[in-house]
Order: sequence, then C-alpha cells, then structure tokens
Amino acid sequence: MAAVTPPVVNPPGAPAPVGRSTRRIQQGLIGLGLVLLAIGAIVLVQDVAAKNYPGLLLWFAGALVLHDGILAPIVFGVSLMLRRAGKRIPFAVLLIVQGAVVVGAIATLLVFPEILKQGIGTGNATLLPLNYGAGLIGLYAVLAVLTAATVGVYLRLRPSQISVEQRSA
Amino acid sequence: MPDVQQLMGEARRALAAPSRTPRTAVVVGRLLAIAFLLCFGTGLFSHYLQDPLPWMRFPTRPTFLYQWTQGIHITAGILCFPLLFAKLYAVFPELFQTPAIRSFPHFLERASIALFVAASLVQIVTGMLNTYQWYALFPFPFRQTHYALSFVIIGSLAIHIALKLPIISAHWTKRASATTVSAETGDAVSPAAASPAAAGVTGRIFAWIDRTPAAPPRASRRAFLTTVGVASAALVVTTAGQSFRVLDPTNIFAPRKAGIGPNGLPVNRTAAAAKVTETAVAPDWTLTVTNGETSRSFSRAALAALPQHQVDLPIACVEGWSQTASWRGPRLSDLLDTVGADTDARIRLTSLEQKSSYAVTEMGPEYARDALTLVALELAGQPLDIDHGYPARMIAPGRPGVMQTKWLSTLEVI
Repeated sequence: MAAVTPPVVNPPGAPAPVGRSTRRIQQGLIGLGLVLLAIGAIVLVQDVAAKNYPGLLLWFAGALVLHDGILAPIVFGVSLMLRRAGKRIPFAVLLIVQGAVVVGAIATLLVFPEILKQGIGTGNATLLPLNYGAGLIGLYAVLAVLTAATVGVYLRLRPSQISVEQRSA
Repeated sequence: MPDVQQLMGEARRALAAPSRTPRTAVVVGRLLAIAFLLCFGTGLFSHYLQDPLPWMRFPTRPTFLYQWTQGIHITAGILCFPLLFAKLYAVFPELFQTPAIRSFPHFLERASIALFVAASLVQIVTGMLNTYQWYALFPFPFRQTHYALSFVIIGSLAIHIALKLPIISAHWTKRASATTVSAETGDAVSPAAASPAAAGVTGRIFAWIDRTPAAPPRASRRAFLTTVGVASAALVVTTAGQSFRVLDPTNIFAPRKAGIGPNGLPVNRTAAAAKVTETAVAPDWTLTVTNGETSRSFSRAALAALPQHQVDLPIACVEGWSQTASWRGPRLSDLLDTVGADTDARIRLTSLEQKSSYAVTEMGPEYARDALTLVALELAGQPLDIDHGYPARMIAPGRPGVMQTKWLSTLEVI
C-alpha cells in the first residue's frame, strides 16, 4: 500500500513544515475556535433542555450516516457508471449530463420537503402557496433543454478534440 | 479476506477523482466559509435585535436593513447546500484514510471534523425546515439549537482552517497549487495504477473499478466547479425572490411569494394560530398606554381620530421573506406623548396572542421615537386583516417581523 499516494487532501504521515508566523495564526485560530465551541456548549446547556439532547445527538449521527453512508456512495456509484459509459460516449458529454443531474438533485432535495409539508398542511394559506411539483417539473424541463443545447454546441464546435480525448481515455 | 486497513486504502484509492483535489477543496471551501460567516454575522444581528443586551442600540436606517440582512442570511443558508455537498464531495476519500487514527491529536482532529460536518448538515437542514415551519420533524427547539450550533460551527471552522492552513496556503492560488502538485510526485496517480490486488469479492470489485476509464482531469475539474456554480445560481434565482423583489418573477421554489396573502402580503403567524380570532374583534377592545401612574385607553376609533401618517416599510420575517407595504396609523411617538413618556424611554409591548414567546416584547427608544414607527390601523389602503394584526399592530423600520407586534393590547413605559 505504501507505493500508492492517492491524489487527495492531506497526505497522511508527513505534515509540511510550517513557519513561525503560520504557527502563530494557527494557534490564534485554534484558541478562537475553542472559545466559540465553549460558548456554543454553554448556550446549548442554558437554552436547550437536557431532554432534547438525545434527539439532537440522533440528528447528528443521522446526518453523518445519511451523507457518508448513503448519499456519497450513491454519488460514487452513479459517477462510476457514467465513467464506464465513457468507453462509448465522449467524456465531456457525460460531464455535462452529470452536472445537470446534480443540479436537479440538489433542487429536488430542497423542494421535495415543501411538497410533503404542503400535503400535510400548514394552517396558513400564505405559507408554501405555490405549485412546487409543477415548478420542479419545469426546472427539469429547462435543465433537459439546456443540457441538450450545451451538448449539441459542444459536439458541433469541438469534434477533433473529442476524438483525441477518447483515444487517450 | 483483505484486512480492514487494506480495504480502507483500496476504497480511498477507488474514490480518487480529478475533482477531488486539495485545490478544489480550497476553492469550494473558501466560498463555503464566506457563506457560513455571512450566515453567522447576519444571524447574530437578528438574534440581538430580538434579545438585545441592555446597552445595545440599533440603526433604524436604512429601513430595509433587516430585510437585507435576513434575506442574505436565508439565501446564503440555501447556498450552503450545494457548497457543503461540493466540499464534502471533494474530501470524501479522506474518510477512508489509513491508519484511521494515527495519534491523539489526529483523533481530536478527526473528531472535530465529524462534529463540524454533522453540525453543519443539521444546521442547514433544520434551518430549511424552519422556513417551511415543519417543526414536528426535529425533537429539539429550533431557535435555541440554531443559535448554539452557530457557535459550534464557526468554532469548528476556525479550528479546521488552523489545522489545514498549510494545505490552504499551498493551494490558495492556481499557480501555487500547480507547483505544489508537481512537487508531490505521486499526485497524478490514475485509478488504473498498480496496487497489490486484494483477494475475494472485494478484490474483484476494486479490480473492476480499476478497469473503469479514468475521467479527463482538466475537464472534470472544470465540470465540477461549473456544476457547483450552476446549482448555486439556480437556487438563488428560484428562491431569493422571497427576500429580494428583483428576483420575484423567477421565485418558484421559495416558501413565500410576494403578493400572496391578505392585504396582498404573506403572514407568518395567523390569527387562528395565535388564538386571537375572538379577542381581536371584541367590540370593547382598547389599546392601553401606560407610563407609571398615568394610563390612557384608546378605542380603534380614538386611534383613528389621532393625526394619521402613511409610511412605506418592509415587513421582514426571520424566515427570510420580506415585502414592502404601505402602512397607515398614528405615530407611536404621539401616543407616548399623551402619557408624558420620556423621549429615551423603553417600551414594553403586549399582544393579545397566546402561547408565544413574542407576546410580550420590548422596544428601544431608537424605534419608539422614530417618525416612521406607527401603530398601524391600515395596510395597503384597507383596514388591517385580522391575520396582519387587526385592530392595531406595530410597524417600525429595520426590525424583525416577530417584533412588529400584532394584535396590540398594551404599551407600557418601562
């Protein structure tokens, strides 16, 4: 394993040597951070009843599990599948499609709870008053059109580079 | 079976991607830090407007001040979704670093990152749900938790920046980043690079991943950053219209829409929710103004008989939506003069509303004596709708909507 150095942040083991001024900034930031963390803890203890802590902890753990255990692996799987398709489809086209899917997915993540809450009811006609489902479909349509147009323009303008990229891949 | 260490190493290598570099982490991290700090600053301002320390005085101009700060708070909060996801995507392989814990400081660092990530995710998700008023989903009080977590997040951010400072400075500019990368020879490893083959099912999976074509690095990085930019722009265009009128035509996703509501204005808390549907329309309703021993009561007709003023002021909710409207009624200053209140007096406002921490609030003299501060009887040329605070409500420049007390009952000099 020692032979492989992945291209990722913070190679383990060997921190780069830091100068004295950098060290001072680091100490200042860590001190500031600890003070703010302490304030946060005090506010939490003072303002939030202890009976709420298990629920808060559950949300913290749930957030990590949902992101690191479910969302990120799904994203990895999808991008892997797209990369495999790269044998036949120009990579730039895949990247454009992938980008559109991500934009649509993030918008869905924010809008879907609105649709659910609207279904449950708000007791307030001015809260969540729009047709969010239709809005989402509209966004998907705009994304589809823009993606098709971008791919079209790309294929028309850069045919030579596509073949080069495909050969090298 | 490969041991866990090797499995983690394989996973980390398999997850490597051209868009997962220190440079992309720095580029996205900078933007995310700006968004976090904007949220923190505007959030603190909003907090102290609602819970001021005794010595605090606030500016009443520009009248759109709170409309802007809270609009920025919510819009920056929405932007944290694409930015945080992008940041986590860029550094995700680090989750599988081996050995998982090298030393006690390393354990502390990883624990602080876990706290940072968890608090950030919980903060933006509950913040979003709060704007949909979907409180039943989380088993803790929103406002207090949101406030406490803001310090946890900014504290963790400071520590995170401190620990990553060498990497951040090495990749701050494109040129410096390129120099650093070429100095670190192993940095251009493709997924197809040789590695000791793991045995069994996992080994076959990693081998299969290795055979997958690598993404072209430059195009991938560009596509990654472009995607983050487009997602951010799309969210601003489709939601920020609730706070900034210029984007109202494209507001299709915000939980509020300008112009939708009684008197053409959205409502935060309805009369039914505040349980004032009977008390607010009681024929014997009066507004009582008290200064020590001196006390005067005004019926709605008596308030309407005082000199009337018309002001254009925004109603700006802590949930981010806002809308400027035309209000009409007597000046608060004139009412306070009828009981001989000092010009630097603080006022306690009491509402008819029930079960609300905002039923009794205080107002500093900078607002109480401002010429634009009215006890509003009319909105948009019509009597106040009961959901907007009939028979009378407060409207002052630059204050959060929850402090613009509806269904006024008493005003006391304190």
